[in-house]
Amino acid sequence: MIFKLERIEVQSRKDMEMINITPQVERVTAESGVRNGLVLVMTTHTSSGLLVTEGIECLERDVLAHLERLAPKNPPPGTYGYWHNRYLDFDGRLGFNAGDHLKSILSGVNCFFPIENGKIVRGSRQCVYFVEYDGPLARTVVVQVIGES
Amino acid sequence: MALSSNGIDFHTHPLLVREMIARHPELAKAARQTFYIGNNFQPQETLHLELDVAGLGHAVVLPIDATTALGTTVYTNEQIAELCAMSSRLIGFASVDPRQPGAPEKLEAAVKKLGLRGLKLAPAMQRFWPDDPSAFELYDRASQLGIPILFHAGMSWEPGSRLEYGQPLRFEKVAAEFPKLNIVLAHLAWPWVTEAVAMALKYPNVCLDTSALYFDNPEDFLRYAMTHVVPLSVFERSLRKQIVFGSNYPRVEIKNMARAVRALGFSEECLELIMHGNAQRLLGAGK
Repeated sequence: MIFKLERIEVQSRKDMEMINITPQVERVTAESGVRNGLVLVMTTHTSSGLLVTEGIECLERDVLAHLERLAPKNPPPGTYGYWHNRYLDFDGRLGFNAGDHLKSILSGVNCFFPIENGKIVRGSRQCVYFVEYDGPLARTVVVQVIGES
Repeated sequence: MALSSNGIDFHTHPLLVREMIARHPELAKAARQTFYIGNNFQPQETLHLELDVAGLGHAVVLPIDATTALGTTVYTNEQIAELCAMSSRLIGFASVDPRQPGAPEKLEAAVKKLGLRGLKLAPAMQRFWPDDPSAFELYDRASQLGIPILFHAGMSWEPGSRLEYGQPLRFEKVAAEFPKLNIVLAHLAWPWVTEAVAMALKYPNVCLDTSALYFDNPEDFLRYAMTHVVPLSVFERSLRKQIVFGSNYPRVEIKNMARAVRALGFSEECLELIMHGNAQRLLGAGK
């Protein structure tokens, strides 16, 4: 049984952004030597997401726009406020990004795929996206490959 | 260096820059145990991207010399110069400890030999009274060098620091005794915004920076401080040449503070001064 874990650094360049990391996940899988098993992908950050969808720019816009609508950075005046808008002494800063944490919860932070004959089993339209909700930042994504050679 | 016209963040602390921490591991301890910031360390590129997303061109990067009070520095002047050598978008300030002998000479060396362009002082962290005459020789040297002093003013988050060092009226003697010295009171000196505004109204050599965030979010907080506490019209009509944009990154992201300042409702002319023109004047255009 092979267990291989690799940390990938993803540099986001915008406030909110979808970054297709399918090639990196496939590379780690190929280099693991696993022929049959599973690959797990997880973002280690709570204001980012990890999701699977079709890899086209129009959908990327829709995903980001509707997550922002559901969990806005600044709620419309007079509606509600975030409890998270306060000083966090353990961080030395204010935590006014509750909307970005909520987006992370809505989108999820991980995904997995089967591996068959050394290749990821995924639909022809399926891509793995790291989703930045509070960038730009250098982020860490963990890829864990488990299986038999 | 001539500055571009796309904005300056006058108040950043380069504490997350991973390349500098790799070269100087003590900076990691300074970030965590002296400055008390818990953010993940980042490549220098992230700071550039922060400026890009905020629509700004340059950032002033600040050290703090707290040798007497804490036995440490948060970046030395040499480290600031080293960082600035890695990026044409960063403008380095010096810091010296007013309670250490030779502070004026150290400042002069930082300006003339290292090319640093201002002085950062943090009375609450350095534990000195801004109006203590023992610091006046340092102020006089800064005035002679033609550089601005950015004073931390108002509340300090760091454990062990005292609010009383940041009261705006503690800076009045400095403004009055050194009329040719440009001083910037950071953070709108919150919770003493009215007093800080009074200082700026009375003394044309006093500026305020916008890096204030103590509760809520940047937009709500600045609207409170710059609309409800003091009407926005006072900043627009009376102080438009004495307000500089500052974020206090990384306690606040540059993008968030820039968005908050732009949302306040200033005229385009006033915004240009706040985001660019006033800082350029303080730094000395064309230097």
